[in-house]
Amino acid sequence: MKIVIKGLEVWYDSIQALRDASLEINEGELTFIIGPNGAGKSTLLKTIALIIKPKVGVIYIDGKALSKFSLKELSKILAYVDYQISKSLPSTVFEFLLTARYPHQNMLTFSMSQEDLEIVDKISKQLNISHLLDRKLDQLSSGELQRVLIARAFIQGSKVLLLDEPSAFLDLKYKLEILDLVKKFTKINRSICIIAIHDLYLASLYADKVVIMSNGEIVAVGRPREIFREDLLEKVYGVKTHILDINGRIAVIPLEPLNKMEL
Amino acid sequence: MISMAIPLYERRLKRFFYLLILFIILVFIVSISSLSIGPAMLDPIKVLQALAFKLLGRDVGGLIDVVAKLRLARTLASIFCGASLALAGLLMQTITRNPLADPYIFGLSSTALTALALGIILAPDLMIQRVYVVTISFIGAMIGFTLTLLLSKLGGGSDIAMVLAGIAVASLFGGVSHILLYIVQSMTKVPYMYLLMGTVSTTLWGDVQLLIPLIIVPITLSLALFKPLNAYLYGDEFAKQLGFNPASIRIFTASISAFLTATTIAFIGVVGFIGLVAPHIARFFVGIDHKFSIPTTIFIGALLTLIADIIVKAISIFIGGLGELPLGVVTAVIGAPFLSYLVIKRMRR
Ligand SMILES: Nc1ncnc2c1ncn2[C@@H]1O[C@H](COP(=O)(O)OP(=O)(O)OP(=O)(O)O)[C@@H](O)[C@H]1O
Ligand SMILES: [Mg+2]
Repeated sequence: MKIVIKGLEVWYDSIQALRDASLEINEGELTFIIGPNGAGKSTLLKTIALIIKPKVGVIYIDGKALSKFSLKELSKILAYVDYQISKSLPSTVFEFLLTARYPHQNMLTFSMSQEDLEIVDKISKQLNISHLLDRKLDQLSSGELQRVLIARAFIQGSKVLLLDEPSAFLDLKYKLEILDLVKKFTKINRSICIIAIHDLYLASLYADKVVIMSNGEIVAVGRPREIFREDLLEKVYGVKTHILDINGRIAVIPLEPLNKMEL
Repeated sequence: MISMAIPLYERRLKRFFYLLILFIILVFIVSISSLSIGPAMLDPIKVLQALAFKLLGRDVGGLIDVVAKLRLARTLASIFCGASLALAGLLMQTITRNPLADPYIFGLSSTALTALALGIILAPDLMIQRVYVVTISFIGAMIGFTLTLLLSKLGGGSDIAMVLAGIAVASLFGGVSHILLYIVQSMTKVPYMYLLMGTVSTTLWGDVQLLIPLIIVPITLSLALFKPLNAYLYGDEFAKQLGFNPASIRIFTASISAFLTATTIAFIGVVGFIGLVAPHIARFFVGIDHKFSIPTTIFIGALLTLIADIIVKAISIFIGGLGELPLGVVTAVIGAPFLSYLVIKRMRR
């Protein structure tokens, strides 16, 4: 499986959020997107998920243009996870997770198959949310909810996993455990995984490929060592940094912003 | 490996079926009581017997036959209109993702009634046929829904903004429909006032025969939509990802909901709050999954309306006043405190 993005341009009314973005993503690789707030990371992921329509440009999945897919076909191969979910009517975690099997079912099938339930079971165990199944979505801590949302994507069984800030609310242990799991899932299923993230250390730990964005443009694409350079980070983030090499792992230490905010 | 999901699922399924059976029995018992209660009290056992005989095609004869026939239309109208209003409320709560939604609170009922009154004034000949009555009241309900949603968008689109917008629309068109119905009354010399607060007491056998299919069809359609509706609950983007188009779900479901509202108004007039209360009770018992909540809501709606109508009858028997209270008065007395409770719960958060 392969995703090819060519010359994407996305507008929100009069705001341009993506400028001529082109990118190739291979299966079995973890691709991390980094960049400052408003750089267009979420927009890029949402465009791949067909949630936003690009004004110009095409996205190909295995050579077939994304716009040629129906929502139904896409639901079997693609999942986009962010933190936005409506909780105004009180649903339990279990009810929420069961809906993730719908793409694989007939519209009128009344009961859940044994197989579907076993998948929900297995993934809930892996993400350690089995004890939360009977809880309401609005009664979870942020990190618990985050795990539930990621579990949904796994349960949907998509070959293309798009994660927007998956580590935002997770504690130290879950950050590592969940990214470990995502990595394993991607390698074993030869699937595609794109993760937008602010935590540069996590990106350097897990990324096969890093995409750095700024102002709606893709500034550079490469292996972590090629992207985590003091000059590049200073240019994109406007922050002086120091790169540490700890046992072959790269850690970015932010030193000071180039422009200080005035009081 | 101990499974969590499978027993949890089976428990929910079992609970749903038990509750469904319980509600069916309750609706049946309350229906029999409803048939027995009236100016002439009947023996419930005899009513049951008469019903059974009727179903077998045998002759019943006597007082029971006459009275039960008259009352049967009224009882069936309570059941089906109650079910219809409750489902209309549930669907509105889902598509607005707002637990405070109800056809009456959101102004659909008033605009439907206004459209109906306008229809009677402008084209009295057409309004003799129920088809036109239902159609015009459906158009009115759709306009009301659209108005409320537009107004609430201007007000920020929050849950409470939606309720306030609905109340504004409901008050305006409640007033307009009052005036129009007053004109109607002077034209036709028939008291249309009951339409304002609803009643099942005037339902005839012929009405019921038309009413039942008009309500069964949208119920079936909504049941068939349970998966898109479930996916829709978690947000537009989420529904899209599961392969459903949120805009189509919204339009289609809003139309079903408006149609159910319009149908009840065309037959029995405005009855509020059933659509608000029934879905909450149903979700409390069976959760949010529409394949469980739709059937449960329908039975609870029927039950609530039957009980409200029994209260109407009981009051008129005990007080012995002229005529009866409208049904909508009783449902408002039960429903409005519930709305207050929900609003308080929501504002506190
Ligand atoms: N719904 C929207 N309407 C209008 N403009 C939007 C909308 N969503 C995003 N934008 C704008 O598009 C640009 C890119 O936003 P995007 O959400 O893709 O950034 P991001 O890289 O994900 O940022 P963050 O790190 O803060 O999540 C920003 O300038 C933002 O203000
Ligand atoms: Mg973002």
